[in-house]
Formats: sequence, C-alpha cells, structure tokens
Amino acid sequence: MLGKLSFRNAKRQAKDYVIYFITIVIAVALLFSFNSIAVSNDIAELSSSMKDFSQVIFGINLLIIFVMAWLINYTMRFMLEKRSKEFGTYEILGIEKKDISKMFTIENLIIGILAFLVGTAFGCLVYQVFTSIIMNIFEQPYQIAIEFNWKAVQTTALCFFVMFVLVLLNSRRKIKKTKVHDLLYADKQNENNRIQNAKGNMVLFVISIVLFLTGVFVLNLDYVDVDKMDGKETMIAIAMFITGVYLFYRSISSFIVKRYLENKTRKYQKNHLFLYRNLTSKINTMSTTLGTIAMLFAFIMIGGNVALLMNGMLNNEIAMGYPFEIMVSSLDGDFSKYKEYIGKNANVIDLYEYRTYNIPKVSVDKALQDTTFEDRFDDEWDTAICLKDYNRLREMLGYETVSLKEDEVIVQCMKSAEKHFVDYRKENHKIEIMGKEMTIKEIRGEHLAQLGFNGYMYCIVVPDELLGEIEKADFKIEKPFYDDCYKLVAQTEETTGEAFYDGLSEYLIYDEMEQIAVIDGEEQQYTMNIALGNVRTKGNRTAQVKSFYTMISFLAFYVALIFVMATATILAIQQLSDSEKYKYRYELLKKLGMEERVIRQTILKQLLFYFCLPMFIPVLISIPAVLIVGQIFTVAVTVEEIWKNMAVVIGIFVLVYGIYFVATDVQFERNVNEGK
Amino acid sequence: MDKILEGVRNLKKILKVEQIQKFYGNKDNLTKAIDDISFDVEEGEFIGIMGASGSGKTTLLNCISTIDTVSAGHIYLENQDITEIKEDDIAQFRRKNLGFIFQDFNLLDTLTIEENIALILTINQVPEKEIDTRILEIAKKLGIEEILNKYPYQVSGGQKQRCAACRAIVNNPKIILADEPTGSLDSKSARQLLEIMEDMNQNMKATILMVTHDPVSASYCNKILFLKDGKIFNKIQKGEKTRKDFYHEILDVLALLGGEQNDVR
Repeated sequence: MLGKLSFRNAKRQAKDYVIYFITIVIAVALLFSFNSIAVSNDIAELSSSMKDFSQVIFGINLLIIFVMAWLINYTMRFMLEKRSKEFGTYEILGIEKKDISKMFTIENLIIGILAFLVGTAFGCLVYQVFTSIIMNIFEQPYQIAIEFNWKAVQTTALCFFVMFVLVLLNSRRKIKKTKVHDLLYADKQNENNRIQNAKGNMVLFVISIVLFLTGVFVLNLDYVDVDKMDGKETMIAIAMFITGVYLFYRSISSFIVKRYLENKTRKYQKNHLFLYRNLTSKINTMSTTLGTIAMLFAFIMIGGNVALLMNGMLNNEIAMGYPFEIMVSSLDGDFSKYKEYIGKNANVIDLYEYRTYNIPKVSVDKALQDTTFEDRFDDEWDTAICLKDYNRLREMLGYETVSLKEDEVIVQCMKSAEKHFVDYRKENHKIEIMGKEMTIKEIRGEHLAQLGFNGYMYCIVVPDELLGEIEKADFKIEKPFYDDCYKLVAQTEETTGEAFYDGLSEYLIYDEMEQIAVIDGEEQQYTMNIALGNVRTKGNRTAQVKSFYTMISFLAFYVALIFVMATATILAIQQLSDSEKYKYRYELLKKLGMEERVIRQTILKQLLFYFCLPMFIPVLISIPAVLIVGQIFTVAVTVEEIWKNMAVVIGIFVLVYGIYFVATDVQFERNVNEGK
Repeated sequence: MDKILEGVRNLKKILKVEQIQKFYGNKDNLTKAIDDISFDVEEGEFIGIMGASGSGKTTLLNCISTIDTVSAGHIYLENQDITEIKEDDIAQFRRKNLGFIFQDFNLLDTLTIEENIALILTINQVPEKEIDTRILEIAKKLGIEEILNKYPYQVSGGQKQRCAACRAIVNNPKIILADEPTGSLDSKSARQLLEIMEDMNQNMKATILMVTHDPVSASYCNKILFLKDGKIFNKIQKGEKTRKDFYHEILDVLALLGGEQNDVR
C-alpha cells in the first residue's frame, strides 16, 4: 500500500522534481561520458600520453562524486522541504516515521534509477560528441557508432550508487529527526531579518573593496619579474581575494540599503522598494553561500582561462617553433643518414641544408630589457644567418624574398616579441656587428623557427658580403646547444608521426659532457649525456601538444561545467524553494493593483539580480588576475589572444548559466501564478 | 425602512450593484453563491455586510474588488461598469479606485511599516517627493507615526492592521473594501481599529464597505446588509440610534437569520 502511495506520489510530483531530475541526469551523463573516454581503447591508442589522461580522469571523478553528492543532497533537502506538509499530515494521521522515510527512500530510488537510465543514454550521446571532437583534434577519421562500454557503465553505476546512498542516508536521518510541528509549519518560516549594524557593515564593504584593489596590486608584484617569482605574493593575494569576497557578500546588502533605500527619492522610484528589500533580506540570510559560490566562479574563470592560455601557448609554440615538418641540426653538417631515412619514410617536397653562425651579442637585445623575454639577457651570443639562406627558407614557407644593401641587416624575431623590437628600432637604427656599423633595415616577425633553431627569440640576417668575416672568425662556444650550426629542413607531403620521429632520432650522436652544478652549496662535477644536435618534427610535437591540449582543456571544462552546474542549481533551488514566500508577496502586489506585465518584469529583475550578484565579483577579479598571470604566457601568446580567451571562457560560462536562469525564471513564474 | 433610504438618496451614489449573480459548478450541479443581489452605496457611507459563512459575503466582496467576476448583472463604481473592464486594465482600475484591508494584514515583512504604506504609492507612480508627506499626514491621524520605521514582526497585530488601514486610505480610493479586518485581532485592538475606521469614515470622508460576521464590528457601520444563501435577507440603518441600540438590533436580526447564534450568546 505504502509502495503504491509513494509511486503515485513520485509520479504526481514529477513537476516539482524537474530541477532535481535534471541535475542527476546531467551528473550521470557527464560521469558516464568521461568514464567512457577514460576506458576507451580508441582514445588511449591516439598518443602515448593519452594513457595518463585516463588515469587523471579517474582521479578527478572522485572529486566530482563529492561535489555531486553535496549537490544532490541539496536538491533532496529542497524536495523534503517542499513536501514537509505532506509528511507532517501523514505523521498526524498516524503513519510511523520509519514508514515515511521508507516511502521517501523508495520514491527517490524510483526517480534515481530513472534518472540514471536517462543519464546513461544521454551520456552515450555526449560521449560520441566528445570522442568525435577528440578524434577531430588528432585528425583521425571517426565513425559514430553506438557502442556500449560495460566497464564505463559499471564505474558510473558504482559512483552513482555511492553518491546516492550517502545522500539517502542523510535525508532519512533528517526525516527521523524532525518534529511534526516543524514539518507542518516549514513553509511559514521566515527570512531571518537580522537588524544589522549598518555602519560596521559599510566599513566592511569599504575594506572588501580595498582588499580587491590591493590584492590585484600584490598579485602583480609576483609577476613583475618572473625569474624571482616564488608564489608568496600570489598566496597573499589569493588570501586577500577570498577574505574580500566573503566580506563583500556580507556587507553588500548594507551598501544597497545605503545607496537605494536611505535616499527616499531613489527608494520610491519605480519598483525599487520591493525589489531591493527582497534582495537585501535574501542576501542577508545567505551571504556565506553567495561568497562560496563567488569563490567557485572565480576559480572556474581563472582556471579556465589559464587552461586556454596554456593551450594557446602550445599551439603558438608549434607555429613559431615548427614551421618546417622536419628540422635537424648537427655539429658537422653530415646529414647523409638522416636524408636516407627521410627519403625512405616520407614524401619530401623540398629539402634544404644551410648553416647559421654564432656571433658576439649585438646591442639589439636591449629591446627585450624589462619585458617578459628578459631571460635572454644572460647570454653572450647571438645567431646570424646569411641573406641567401634566409631567402631560401622564406621561399620554402611561401613568404616573399627580401633584399639587403651591404650595410643593412634584418632582425628576424618571434611574432610575440616583434612589438618590442619595432619600438626599439624607432630610436636605434644602428647596430655594430663584427666591428662594423650596420643599419637595421627592418624587423620581421614571420614564423621562421626562432625558438632555438634559427636563433633564440631572434636572429640577425646579414648580407652575404658580411658573411666572410663571420666565417673567418668561426666562433666555437663549446657549450651544449650552441655549436650545432649545420641545419637541415624539409617539407613533406603528409604530416609525419611519432614513429617517424623516433626513427629519425636514432641517428643523433651523443657525447658525454662535463657539467658543473651547485648542489647543497658545493660545486660538483658530473657528466651528462648530451645529443650533439637536434631532431624536431612538427608531427611528433603536434601529437604531444595535442594530447596535452585535450587533457587540459577537457579536464578544465569538465570540472568547470560541473562547478557551474552545481552553483547554478543551488541558486535556482534557493529561488524556487522560496517561491512560496514570493508567491504571497507577488499576490499582494497583484491585489494592490500592480499589472501582471510589471510583475513579470519585477520577477525577471529579481532573478537577474540574484543570478548576477555572485558572478559580478569573480568577473571583476578574474579579468586583472588573468591579465597578470597571463604575463607568463606572453612569450608565446599575445595580449589580444588573452582577451579573446577570456571572452570565450566568460561566454561559455554565461551560456550554461543562462540555461539555468531561463529554467528558473519560467518555473518561478509558474510557481507564483500557481492556483490562479 | 424604504422611506429612510429614500431620504438619503440625494447623496451621490458611489457604488451601484445591480442584480448580480455568481454561479459555481456546471449545469447538473449548480451552486448559486450570489443570487440576484442589488444595493447602492452612497459617498461617505460605512456599510457592513453580514452573514453566516457560505452566505456569499466574501464572494460579493471579491466581485466588487474585481478579484472575481460576476456571472450576470452589473456593478458600477461612479458610473463605470467594473464588470466590463478589460483584463489588461483591471490592475490599473484597482490601484486607482480601491483600497483594501485584509483579515491577515497582508503586509510584507521585508518592508518597514512606512515602506509597506509607500508601496501602494510607488505602484501608483506618485511623485517620490510627495510620498513622504502623504504617509506622515495619514500616519499621524491613525496614530502610527511612532512605529513607521519598524518592521511588521516588531509591532503588535493591532498596529499592523492600522498600518494596513493607512495603506488602504493613503491613496484616496473611491471606496475601501475591508474583509473581516478585526478577524485576527483581540477585542481591544479590534475596538481601536474600528474607532479609526469610524474616524476615517467621518473625518476623512472615506467610503467603506466592510464584510464581517462580528456584531460588535458591525455596530460601527451606519448601514448593514444581511446575506443568506446568496440573497439579501435584511437591511438595517443606524440612523440616530446609539451604537448600543444598534448592536442589539443587529443581534435581533442575526437571531432571525439563524446560523450565527453561537456568536451572540
């Protein structure tokens, strides 16, 4: 009988359970799709490092289970509150608490199992989408096939079961603990209208703003000189931000009162009075929750941005560092074995051998003084390349050729550093090379492998006339990574793979080199096995970077999605669980003669305020924070790209958030108009 | 009695209820909540509507206050037929012309007493600068200027209801509709409120229509309609009688009416 009753109840209350149901479905779908990716063979085979990816996903799932359990617990509590009257009535009618909690459990099991099934089916779809995205990243053909991975189902079921049992035990305990009176009058409980010390709160409000501003300043200190970065200032800044956020949400309602409600002219404008009073009373009772949500948002935004920046940096690194498919350097210029291997294993379009030269450092590197590229400063050597080779390389990459007079040079630099050189050249046209005064004809920023292959950060393109003197001097530095001046570059028809790289690397010659390192304050000598030359292939680097990219971006989005969902759910439930209370308030407004159109507007405004409030501070903090932290990446990423990333992160965030907002607005209006 | 009514008919009629009916249910099971009721309310009148529960008094009030619609008949407020007002214009009509006092106060506990009163003025888009002076003026008359800055949960039920009365009159409505205003009050607070309503009626020229089943409350009115089964059962007029005499007259009618004897014991 009780079973029947609870089944009927679950069916009848389906509407109220919507948010609860959606939350579980999305949770299960995400869990399932990521578990599927973690155990998928197709994906593990893509690249060697993708195996670690699977490991990490399993680790992160643990964290997610806790977040989800907390979330489901929250929604369950909301349901319990919503049905408190019903349970109270049962109890008054003489049904035992034990039976009521049993009924609630059965009911939730039905819904839980239903949500699990729907979630798994939905997760299959999500998995297909994710897999095709990953396959696309690796440029592998992929056919969508409904495959059901039992291992993933098992893992998801296990996670779900653990989550659900934890939550159910908790709510059973809760039912057993509550008294009939509390159940019957739960909806009569009012907002805790604390009369607050307004002046004290205004002080707190000002303090929180000061904390944000100084926090940004302190954070910046850590990044002014990246070499001396020790994270101390970052930690202090984070502590300041956290304190600031909580103080802010504790005191904001006093600020609103001061700004909008103490000035009577402003207070009595439009619907300010009703709106702000609703808002401030709500903020007062849940300032801590708002603060926590804001913290999560800030975390998501900064984390998401840094992940995207890393990804941007890696992609740029490929573009800047690997313009050619195959790049080999050696000490002696004997490339015969390499060429044989390349000829056998790849379809070469074009292949070229040349050499670069070490020259004593020229003054042009002052351009990088006081910038994030400054670490170049310790070096005593620069790289030169002659115009003939330079033009040949340009032709290979499809750039137009250039010409030089005999007293002119070109500074060829990385794209991201181009601006500094251009600024420098505005005031300093001349440089001295090998005792000769030369004019800097122009600064060029095309991607020509200025990432340690054709010079580091930049190289000097000299006219063929000057080459004679440099060749004569023939500077040998006898430190690793300096004397491999003979280069071979090649373009192939298809991109090469990881195996090709491994094969090509076999021909590298290694040598033992004496090194001195300072260990525990003492200088110690040790030998190191160092390759006399370098092999790079674009294909191999791309595979490495892409698996890293996939890993970072997927994990970042996985965690971010779940956090956004969790926070949005809490906000939605907070508002919806209050809609009884609001129903009374809005009904009164209607009786007093407020038009429905105006009421709808007021509801929208109220929800908008409420949803925007915890986003406001995170966005404000994360913009300067990302710009500051992003300085690390400016070696490879331009500031415009940082801004673009930020827009993407905020955009995705707002989208997911917006879905919840719309759902809440619709449901809220329905609740307020209920029973009309 | 009709003669007395004739005598005051030269006063301006503010509310005219003409043969209204209100049915619930379907053809097979029809309930007549209001069955052909007609009456007039003159400007400055304090009219009471009495009757047992289920007699249709709240339905009647709801129809007049445009919260409910009539099945047949017409209600005119100053010659405007409120049964014909379009759905979109109802809210505006209500806030311009009607003032409400409810049994359970209907104050918002997030607003102070002052703000609760101001709410109706902001809905009516009264200029911000006027709001303050208007509230203060009325609050003084109703004796609540001391508690204006308090929240509803900090004041007594009587004070809450006086705040509600203040809200009902502050907008100068054509008629104030009160639904069991003393229902949630103890007898002392009830008397205070009724004296205030009497004052509003006599000195501020407010027209009040009050639904009540309490003969003490009703004795403050100057005219009472008794409803039974959706029909007007009787009408009595206070005229020059003292309140005490009028009270006894009410009790007599109620005894005739039946159903509410318990209240009169």
